[in-house]
Amino acid sequence: MPPRRRDGAYVHNAGTSSESEGFDDIDDGNYGDKRKNKGKGKAKDTGKGSQDKGKGKSKEQAYAWEATYTRSWDTVQEDEGGSLQTAVEDLLARGRRRRLLEPSSAIRRTIIRHLMLLLDLSSSMLDRDLRPSRFDLTLEYSRQFIVEWFDQNPLGQIGIVGMRGGLGERIGDMSGNPQDVLKAISDRRRLQPDGDPSLQNAIDMARGSMSHLPTHSSREILIIYGSLTTCDPGNIHDTLDACINDKIRVSVVSLAAEMKICRELANKTGGVFGVVMNEDHYKELMFELVPPPAQRSASRLTGGSTNFSADLMMMGFPTRLPDTSPLSLCVCHSQLKGEGFLCPRCKAQVCDVPTDCDICGLMIVSSPHLARSYHHLFPVKPYQAVTETGLSPSPKCHGCSHSFPEKPSATGSDPTTADVISPLGRYRCPDCEKDFCADCDVFVHDVLHVCPGCQ
Amino acid sequence: METTVSDSPPEHLSLIIDLSPTQWHLSSLDTNPQPLSLRLFISQVLVFLNAHLASRHDNTIAVLVALPGKNVMIYSSSDTIEESDHQSPLDESNTYQPFRAMNSAVVQRIDEELGAQEHGETEAPIGLVGALTKALCHINRLTHPTASANPSIAVPTPPNPRILIFSVSPDLSTAYIPLMNSIFSAQKLKVAIDVCKLYGEDTVFLQQAAHLTGGLYVNPERRDALLQYLAMCFLPSTAIRRVLGMPTQDHVDFRAACFCHKNIIDIGYICSVCLSIFCSPVPVCSTCRTKFPIKTLQRLMLNRPSPLSNGHQRTASPAPQR
Amino acid sequence: MAVLDPTPSGAQHILLPFLYSQSQTSLTRLYTRPSACLAIYRLLSPLERQIIMSLLWLESSVPASVFASWVHPNKVAKQQYDTAISSLTRLHIIPSTPGTLAKLLLHPTFKASFRTALTGGGTHQSFGVPADKGEKRSVNVEFLDSYAVERWETILHYMVSSGTGQSPVRPSQGVLYLLQRSGLMSAFGGGSVLRITSAGFQFLLHPPHSQLWDLLLQYLHMAEERRMDLVGVLSFLFMLSTMELGQDYSTENLDQTQNAMLEDLRDYGLVWQRKTSSRRFHPTRLATTLTSSLPPLPSSTTTSGTDHVASQGFIILETNYRMYAYTNNPLQIAVLNLFTTLKSRFPNLIVGALTRDSVRKALSNGITAEQIVSYLTTHAHPQMRKNVPLLPVTVQDQIRLWEREKNRVQADEGFLYTGFASQIDYEYVLNYARQLDVVVWENAESRCFFGRADGHESIKGYVTRLRADANGGGGQGA
Repeated sequence: MPPRRRDGAYVHNAGTSSESEGFDDIDDGNYGDKRKNKGKGKAKDTGKGSQDKGKGKSKEQAYAWEATYTRSWDTVQEDEGGSLQTAVEDLLARGRRRRLLEPSSAIRRTIIRHLMLLLDLSSSMLDRDLRPSRFDLTLEYSRQFIVEWFDQNPLGQIGIVGMRGGLGERIGDMSGNPQDVLKAISDRRRLQPDGDPSLQNAIDMARGSMSHLPTHSSREILIIYGSLTTCDPGNIHDTLDACINDKIRVSVVSLAAEMKICRELANKTGGVFGVVMNEDHYKELMFELVPPPAQRSASRLTGGSTNFSADLMMMGFPTRLPDTSPLSLCVCHSQLKGEGFLCPRCKAQVCDVPTDCDICGLMIVSSPHLARSYHHLFPVKPYQAVTETGLSPSPKCHGCSHSFPEKPSATGSDPTTADVISPLGRYRCPDCEKDFCADCDVFVHDVLHVCPGCQ
Repeated sequence: METTVSDSPPEHLSLIIDLSPTQWHLSSLDTNPQPLSLRLFISQVLVFLNAHLASRHDNTIAVLVALPGKNVMIYSSSDTIEESDHQSPLDESNTYQPFRAMNSAVVQRIDEELGAQEHGETEAPIGLVGALTKALCHINRLTHPTASANPSIAVPTPPNPRILIFSVSPDLSTAYIPLMNSIFSAQKLKVAIDVCKLYGEDTVFLQQAAHLTGGLYVNPERRDALLQYLAMCFLPSTAIRRVLGMPTQDHVDFRAACFCHKNIIDIGYICSVCLSIFCSPVPVCSTCRTKFPIKTLQRLMLNRPSPLSNGHQRTASPAPQR
Repeated sequence: MAVLDPTPSGAQHILLPFLYSQSQTSLTRLYTRPSACLAIYRLLSPLERQIIMSLLWLESSVPASVFASWVHPNKVAKQQYDTAISSLTRLHIIPSTPGTLAKLLLHPTFKASFRTALTGGGTHQSFGVPADKGEKRSVNVEFLDSYAVERWETILHYMVSSGTGQSPVRPSQGVLYLLQRSGLMSAFGGGSVLRITSAGFQFLLHPPHSQLWDLLLQYLHMAEERRMDLVGVLSFLFMLSTMELGQDYSTENLDQTQNAMLEDLRDYGLVWQRKTSSRRFHPTRLATTLTSSLPPLPSSTTTSGTDHVASQGFIILETNYRMYAYTNNPLQIAVLNLFTTLKSRFPNLIVGALTRDSVRKALSNGITAEQIVSYLTTHAHPQMRKNVPLLPVTVQDQIRLWEREKNRVQADEGFLYTGFASQIDYEYVLNYARQLDVVVWENAESRCFFGRADGHESIKGYVTRLRADANGGGGQGA
């Protein structure tokens, strides 16, 4: 342990330049070991450089603080003609590869999610290694994350806890309304970073607010951690065990360096751990957590009792009151309103769905909200890159009716992308065997979730 | 000073026409209060399209038709139309050229597509949702001309897209999930979906589509005045609709139907794995075969509210097809 | 010149006021042509267009109150609606029916023609009669474009280089007359030499579309004076605007007025004819885009490749006031030279800077800061379009400050009155001057004030009278 500690401390020192001496026991910097793995993995992730160059480079320039002088234009490769086509294709290829890895068949996912977002608001967040600063970037990404998260998980709820001054601070209560959650982090001044963070206090607070939740819904914690230390009142490993018991999935995005406790939190609870290399990578790590997680079999956890935490939930489908209906007080804001929804059980008026009825606690949803989650359950199969046209290829994309290019593009021969990029710009659905253009391929899989050919 | 013509982006209209032969045949029967034949309808739609194109030089259209088991894009403004047989110059001088080119292309393609239909015993389900997804793909290309387009060419302001569906067929319960996905995509692309229900009962799915995307759902009371409906309701752009009032729909049914009896229910029991809806607590999910804990069942049975009135109504949310 | 009044954005099309001023009978005659109806329809605002469309297929009239009830009950919408209705009434598209029980109804002629325009058919031939196919090789679009550009730039270039000593190609006499008539250029010295006026400078910075309409509007005014048939002129312009680019049209069906117009429009670059006596003509892009928002000039660089770049803009402006313009077009360079100091010139690039002197020179020519900013905005390079705001704020502000600097000193002609013997004298005179409202500046300590020239005589008389009363005080012209 000591030599590794030194290693970790050293790196830390070079990067954040302050508080390096305050490296206490809890912070188990298992850094040197992981670093090589990380380096390789990340190089593939960013994929900006060409592959051959990337591997050599990644060891030297894996993390933002290690790069003395970032020359972003070096990472983009021009081809002979000075065009950036290859670099662009590389990016496309990466996206396609990621999609191919996703399971194409219907899988079980947790549809009803509860997430606590733990934001580090310690003074280390004022560091400017991520531009404009860790704190500002985190707030910005959190907003985007929340919007996207609610879009994909309409039945989910998010709460926010801040870590500041050695305490856990409740910033936003668990809520299913994106506006409420966004409002909680809208005031930048109220969240001004200060003092040390405390993982244990914050996790305990988050755990407390999720303890009442039914078993069929997921309990997740996402920690955005900028500090390299934590200031805890007790043994954090007890907290970790408690999390495992409560089946809380903890994911950590670290803005500084890897800490052993963070990785352990993630690993033991089935979460994801990542260290941010740059601004784009930060966003990537965070947004990986947006789609609902595939349901793990319970045996992987504590050798649990039943197979899946499946359950039957009681939900109410409200009556929508049109704008012209007589005014009445809503139970959520106590305001006089015409439009709204009526709880089917207690007939209380609420402003927005989905929500839990404030009076009788019934979960109120409308059928489109349920439908919004269906695409996670029935995904579109990934399209195959077409390398050779058959006898009579269709002249136009089956989706947007734009013509395919006549001749194959010259860059298609690039071996690094050949498996996923079609030189003909054609991508074929394995079911209906219709050809689609690259734009429609992305659109169908990322937004539409319906194959136009199979309909 | 040219602001009147250029300050707002141009409008794009994707037209989806339901060409179900059976339904159109039924619609044109004299037993209807106001019979409407396909021919008559097409001629009115062409005038409507002309009116859309007339408003601005750079307004664009795309026309898709949904046929039994099939859907085709038959016209798009971005296509270059090969000049077909030339009419005599005197005829040409009486019609605005772009109108003439578009109208003849649309009519010709509709005839082709209808002619290619096989007259089998049963009609395959109408490919309306497929047409909708294609229209969305097309709009996506128009409004986000990124990746494949040459980045050095700055693109003109992307148009303001809209979709208008002429529907004559009833809802297709198998198309529920794809349709809902299309609706959510339309929301993301900020595309309003207008629906004109020309024949038959109101369709709940399309009502939801119009409501969720901020479009209009109109079931014309007088089908003989269709053109007036088109000009007043479906021609104005979303910007104009903020000034001129439009018919609204007050009764959009957002309640769900249970998967087991297709009853419309107020309070339902939902499988947490596949979101199937049941009207009473069941031990095993019929869709995904998940067994539910017995404890939950007991609890729910106890708390069960008094039996609901089970009117057999039309479904708003039928079983997903696996 | 009212024509060049820089109307704020969102304003109506420049042609509409002219149409407002026309009599109902001539407008009715105009409305008999479907192409004219279509073209006018396009010039209207979106709301006006929708009102027409809503009324077009109705056979009976609609009570105005019913129609107004469809308007959203907020103030902005109401106002827009009222403006739209009044505009349509002034165009006589909706005949005005006084009284509270007003009915909305389209002008029957307009209704019939516009319906024909939308449905097609009829025998009006108002969309132009294409010439017979065959015989001669047809002219391609590129040729027409280059022709239009050449003609149009000749006019502008002539304007911009007048007075600089260069002698560019002179446009035809008709064009020169039009320029002079419109006040864009004025005869200088002996009368044969034309020189650009301040209005002309402003004109140069307008976008091509409004330049075109500026000139055509002048042409319409001139046509009125020349006793040409105004309806014929207008309907010919509208017909041109609905024609197909690249198609040739026969002149056989044109009347005398329109044949005469062909000659003028040829000079402006709106139409092309092989020979003056040719029996067919080709509208150019300038003509076919008259009622659309497409760029009327395909390429402002003199036909040398890279079409899109020119139409997209070519100027890059940096925060340090440096300007790079990717162009080799003498006209654009000359226009830029109006308000920048050009430093160096390369085959496809000129480098310059906005300086206080160069901008002041432009300001003194009558160009406003707003016009410079809007010119730079509309011609900004696609690269610049990624910036928010598009132009560097520093530069924009500085240009405006330079303009204000010019306005900071206000010159008043007048006299300084000093040397009053006593405070009382001073106050007497000052009070008197105040009553006349001619005091520009006063300073009680040094007993002097400045009065405008128009009050001088009275003050002088007053002082003389005072002096006669008591021997003191005095007014001195300064």
